[in-house]
This record gives sequence, structure tokens and C-alpha cells, in this order.
Amino acid sequence: MKIIVCIKQVPATTEAKIDPVTKRIIREGTQAVLNPFDLYAIEEAVSLKEQCGGEVIALSMGPENAKKALTEALSMGADEAILLSDRAFGGSDTWATGYALARAIETIGGADLIICGRQAIDGDTAQVGPVIASKLGIMQAANVMKTVSAEGGSFTFHRMNESGFDVVRLTAPALITVLKDINVPRIPTLRNARRARAAEIKVWKPDDIGADPAMIGLAASPTRVVKTQPQTSRNTDTFRIEGEPRDAAKTLAGELLRRKLF
Amino acid sequence: MNTNHYGYHVEIIPPKQDSQKLEEDLQLFASKLTRVMGSGFTASITDNAMGLLAFQGHECIEELGIDVDPSKILIHLNTFHTKKDLDGILDSLKRLGITSILAISGDGSPRLPKLQPDDVGAVGTASVTSVELCAYVRKNYPEFTVGVAFNPYEPPEHEFEKLERKLAAGASFVITQPIIGQNDIIDRLIEKHPDLPVMIEAWMSKKLYLLSDVVGYPIPEDAEFDPLATLESLENTYPGSSFYLSLLGFKTQYETVEQMAAAKEARS
Amino acid sequence: MKITDENDRKSYKDVWILAEINDGEIHSVTYELLGIANELAGASGCEVAAVCLSSHVTKEMTDSLIYGGADKVITVTDEKLAAFNDELECNILQRLVGKYKPEILLGAATNRGRALMPRLAGTLHAGLTADCTELSIDPDNGDLLQTRPAFGGNIMATIRSGEFRPQMATVRPKVMRALTPDNTRRGTVISESAEPSDSAGIKEIIETVKRSEATASLADAKIIVAGGRAMGGPEGFRLLEKLASLIGGAVGASRPAVDSGWIDYAHQIGQTGQTVQADLYISCGISGQIQHLVGMQSAGTIVAIDKDDTTPMMNLADVAVKGDLFEIIPLLIEELENMKKEG
Repeated sequence: MKIIVCIKQVPATTEAKIDPVTKRIIREGTQAVLNPFDLYAIEEAVSLKEQCGGEVIALSMGPENAKKALTEALSMGADEAILLSDRAFGGSDTWATGYALARAIETIGGADLIICGRQAIDGDTAQVGPVIASKLGIMQAANVMKTVSAEGGSFTFHRMNESGFDVVRLTAPALITVLKDINVPRIPTLRNARRARAAEIKVWKPDDIGADPAMIGLAASPTRVVKTQPQTSRNTDTFRIEGEPRDAAKTLAGELLRRKLF
Repeated sequence: MNTNHYGYHVEIIPPKQDSQKLEEDLQLFASKLTRVMGSGFTASITDNAMGLLAFQGHECIEELGIDVDPSKILIHLNTFHTKKDLDGILDSLKRLGITSILAISGDGSPRLPKLQPDDVGAVGTASVTSVELCAYVRKNYPEFTVGVAFNPYEPPEHEFEKLERKLAAGASFVITQPIIGQNDIIDRLIEKHPDLPVMIEAWMSKKLYLLSDVVGYPIPEDAEFDPLATLESLENTYPGSSFYLSLLGFKTQYETVEQMAAAKEARS
Repeated sequence: MKITDENDRKSYKDVWILAEINDGEIHSVTYELLGIANELAGASGCEVAAVCLSSHVTKEMTDSLIYGGADKVITVTDEKLAAFNDELECNILQRLVGKYKPEILLGAATNRGRALMPRLAGTLHAGLTADCTELSIDPDNGDLLQTRPAFGGNIMATIRSGEFRPQMATVRPKVMRALTPDNTRRGTVISESAEPSDSAGIKEIIETVKRSEATASLADAKIIVAGGRAMGGPEGFRLLEKLASLIGGAVGASRPAVDSGWIDYAHQIGQTGQTVQADLYISCGISGQIQHLVGMQSAGTIVAIDKDDTTPMMNLADVAVKGDLFEIIPLLIEELENMKKEG
């Protein structure tokens, strides 16, 4: 079975660290990490390969330093890694990213299964997976929480829905996005980590994937960010309640109700 | 466990999983380890300290083929592993002849799996702590000597009660959190358990504020913190204890520490 | 599709919403979508249409959508639409969008909407903004302005996709306000066929399994009740579980409580645990060391209960209650239960 896993390097913005001197939270913009949800996609790809045989190719789009994320995928057991990297891809939104990744998947020669993480923590949009599936015209299942079977070009998954899950059967080629429930991502061994660091990561340009120049980068991206503003900071005026427990509980319940908090 | 009072335990952190210069870091790890053992000290190798993913001490030793004296190595083992990895680590240590372990609850991270009570046959607990880990190792790998941590910054009743459970689970030595001077709670510990080897951690970094981050409680800021002088005074205060050195500067402090150990041995 | 010229731009009109129907019931988010769609349609002087893809659509349902603000209801009824099928729904919507050319298309940011809308946007080459908290019409050019939280909620970003049509967005449940149902409202119902050409390329949905109470994962929980060392043991956390289940929340813990073995690590919040983004965070006897605060301080409202009212958490809190939590929490549960009874 041939599996392509699409991953992303993201800024470690939501990973709060403490500045030891000022005791304030550092929202490091410079540090880049593999999108945490993608660990589950890689693990699922590698464990399916271990069960069914075949190969796993890790694919990403981003700047040159996104190779770090691909190295992590190789450390976890991916066989090959490809990075789409070029100025022309810059400014891509989810549509243009999905287009480029779909072109790359076609260039690889397709796959039986394409696995993406649930969403990337920088954008939280959960869009790129379904966009890839639409560009390839293949079946999709988002929010997969369990792989029931994968054989003979047919896959059965549990897909989360609002009140439980659906049991769905997809025919290869298919794309899934996976939830954290699906597995426990392995920690790379030192041996695999050394091998991954020595491995070559291919870098592909728009020409390498036969991309239509009008369909990549900023120009092809329908969405534009027109304004950003900081979220209003928290009110530091603490409303203090004390006194008899019964009165305090009553006041607190009233306060929760007044603030429409439940 | 190496109970030689004159030899220090020196903490060594294995290379990080996300190291961008892994081969270099591995060489550095190997040279530190060799140097510590060569001085007759014990190398104390951490397990994903602060929840930061690192390689395991045993795999670094095996993969690099480092020639080790297993009696001079103490391996930290925390509760953030799968059962399979835990047994894998213990089996590798057995193969290497390493038999000293420090069982700690450890620092988690979303990336790290956590042992579940069923994994270690623990009943009546919602979470696997160092107590259950210690009991598991002692039961299934009786050849290991297991030490545990003691934190004098936690509320003492709670900490002493937990220590009793750790000892009941088979712990046979204790390593404290770093202190920078005489400490009432540690005095109480030594008084209460005169036969229990208590190893005192000494903070070898000049950055005292990092210590307050590690222990989670504010420690009075001392602008003139001198780790080596502090170590010396701690040794005078606690002559019956051995010392665990964290964040030791291999370039700046190591030789002095070696001389201190030699002087101590000569004095005795 | 990218707009070619002014005539092309003008050929797109109306605001569409995708009705969210589960088990033949219209999900409340549908009415919230109708509410915001009415505001947008009012600003640009066009109509609101609700699109219902379902195995079963009744007159009651279409009436209810009209009373809730739809001028038109477009229904597609087919057995195959009983459970959510990404490929099939996308094919149908692609056809309907081509036929009617809506200017704006809104969906719910539910599991279905978050899978279907990007597939459709990919097919149509349209802009899609996920999880909008605000939507408005730019008075200068009539474009849809879409505001959403970014970077873990630290920044609000406003996005437009004015050169492409339709302009698509998803909205989380309970963010927009529904209109008061008005049963004097009238609207038209248009029935369209599913026209499934064949089953090629369409997945098979074997069965749908319901889970009694899908326990909210901590990271996604909107309400969290968290306890620290002051809980004294596993029994203390039972009390918190009771409060949490009453108000639809999840239970969290500080590290000392987890390290004591009172509750599983999966509940640990903070630097070496999970980072959460709750609307309401009720901290019970957690002093608020920085290691814990980094994991939870982006909460919408923080309520702290503690004997000691000088702790960092009590100072950070929006509402701080000084007292014995073993007295206050049972009484709070009582009060909340009474309120629930009284509606």
C-alpha cells in the first residue's frame, strides 16, 4: 500500500513558554515545530505500512526550514520526504495549498491513501485535506478516529460525528484526516533519528509538479487577510465574593447566570 | 547504588529529539559520560527532563557503543512511557548491566504517552506516579535498586506521607530537590530515616532563578549566588550525605569539583 | 470562481445558509446562521435562502426555516442523504451554486460543515473562512468581511475573498444570534432533485453509532472545572465531576493533584499538561503558579474558589470566591440545580 502523509511546519505559538526572568509568557514566533495533529497522521501511515506492507511518503509545503518537520516524519518511519518550496508558492491560502499538494500527489503517481492531521494549529481551519480531496476528485473522510480495516483497496473507518461516529467504507484512492484518538504517536528511536538526518529530502518547485502558475501562491488564493487586531486583554477587575457559604454560592450562581456562562 | 560519599552524582542530559546537530550532541554526551565515570563519579542520566523530548540514555550508550562501567550509572525513569517502551528500557538496562534507577513521576508533554494504572498493575489509583512505577520495577525487575525523589518545597506532611508510600513500594535511596543551604525539612528527613541514603541535590548553575522555576516555588533571589561555595557549605552541613550535581559546568566547574572530591577523600 | 468583470460580480446575489439537519431534526445553529444571514442580506438588499439536504424534509421543517428568517428554502430530498456523505453533498451543492449563483454561502462549523465546505470551496475555487465570530458587509464595496480568531485566539483577523464567488464562511454554534421565530413570515420552497449520476466516487456509510455521552475532550471543552491539591484526594474530584456534569463541562487538574495520583494525567492543565481555551474556567483550590496559568489563562471568564484570597489565581480571576470549597461547591450545585428547575 502506498500512503502519502501531508504535514505542515507551524510556529510554536500556542506552546506557551515562560520567560525565566520576567515570568511572562513568551509566544515564540520564530520557533517552528511539526504541527502536533500531524504526528497522528504520520503514526497512522507508518503503522498501516507495518501491517500491510508498502511505503510512506511524507509531503509538505513551506520554506526550506520545513525540512525539519519532514525529518521528524522520516524519524518516525516514513520512507521518503518531499518538500514543495519556492517563492511562487508564497502567500498561498488553503485553496492554493490544496491545489499545489494535489499536483504533487499526482506527480508522485498518486497513492492508495492520503492522510492529513485534523487541522494545523496556526490556522485551525481544517480545510487543506478536503481541498486536496476535491482537487484529486477522490473520496474523503474527515475526523477519522479509528481504522477498522485496510485491505484490497478498501478502507473502513470510524468517522466522528456530532453524536457518535459513522462507520464508513472508502475505496482507494481516498483521503482522511485523523483525530488524536486514533493512535499514540511513537517516539523516534535514536537509530531512526540518525538515519532520518542523513536522508535526502527532495525539494520540488512549481515546474516539478506541473503547476499552472495562475493556480499557485497569493494570486490564486481567494482569501486575503485585510486586518488583524489583538484580542482585547482580560479585565483585571476581580469581582470578589465572601461571607456565609450559602450567600457566597448564591451570589456566584447569580453571577454565572448574569454573565450567561452556562 | 554507588554509596561512595566522596564521589558525586553528576547529572547528564542526553541529546534532544529536535537537535539540529545530533552527531555533535551525541559526541558531547559520550565525552561527558566517559569523563564522569573516569573521575569515579556516577553519571545520572535524565529521562525527558522538563517534558522536553530527548533520546534515552541506554540507546545513546548502545548506539554509540560507549564503554561504560554500569555501576557508575544511574538512569532516571519517569511515568511518561508506553508499557512497551518501559519494558524495553528496563530490558536494555539489564543487558548493559545497569541496575540503578531513579523512579520519578516526571514531566509530561502532549507528545509523551503516559503509563496507565493497568500497565503497571496498580489498583486504586487514577494516575501512575513514582510510587506505582517503583513498585512495578521492584516486582518485575527485582535486580534493580530504585531511588525516589523528595521535594522539600512541597507541603511536608504530604511529602512525608508520599515518601512512606515510596519506601513501602521498595525504594531504597532518596534524592532531594536542590537546596542552597541548611533545610529544616531535610533535617527532619535525615532524622526520621537515619539508615536511608539521602542524596542532596546541589544547584550548580549561577542562575538561581532557574531553580525557582524548576521547583515551582519562589526562592529568595541571591545576586551573589556562588554554586561551588554553596556546595562546599552544604557538604559541611550534611557530612553524612552524598551530593547530586545538576547543571554542572563541565568547562568551568568540573576540575574544581574533582579536586573537592579528592580533598574530601584524603581528609577522611 | 474568480470574478471576471462587473457583470459577472452582479450575477451573484443572495445569502445562502446550509441547514444543519441531524436525524431529521434541524440543529439550532441553522437558525443562528439564518440570523446573521438576515443581517447581511439587509445590508446588501438581497434574499436569504436555506438549503436543506436530507433524506426527509417536512413542511414543518421548511416552515420553521421560513419563520426563522429564510425567504426561500431549497430542498433536496434523497435516501442517500440520511447520513453525511461529503462527496454526494458536494456534488449537489456544486450544481445548485452553478444554477442559482449565491453571493454568500454560510455553513455551520460542525464536523459536517468543516468537512463539506472546504471540499466545495476546493471544487468551486472560492474563498472560505473557518470559524467566523463576526460577519459584516463592507459598505464601500459590498464584500463580505469575515472575522475569526487566529494564533490561538490572541489575534482577531479580518478576511475577505472579494474577487471570488461565492464568498464562503463557517460559523461555530452559539456564536450568532437567531431571530425570534415569526410565524407570519412567508417564503417559497423550491424542490431540487439529488440527481446522483451513479455511486462511483461516493463513499458507503455502513452505519451510524450513537454514543451516550461523548465526553468533551479537555482541549475542546468550553467549560472546565479544575481542582488542585486542596481537593485532598480522588473524592474531591468526584465533587468537581458532579459540578462539571451539571454545567456541561470537563474536569481539569493542576499538576500536584495528578502527581498525587488523584486524577489521570489526561486532565492535567499547564506547562507540562494541556493548554485549554475554555469560555468558563472554574478553579477550585488552585493557587495559580505560572506553570498552571500558562495552560489556562486565555479562558474567557475565570472563577476561582479558595480559602486564601491572596493567591495569584484569586487575583487573576474575574470572579473570586473566598471560602471553603467543600462548603461552597455543594451549595453552588444546589443553587444551579434550583435555577435549572425554575428554568
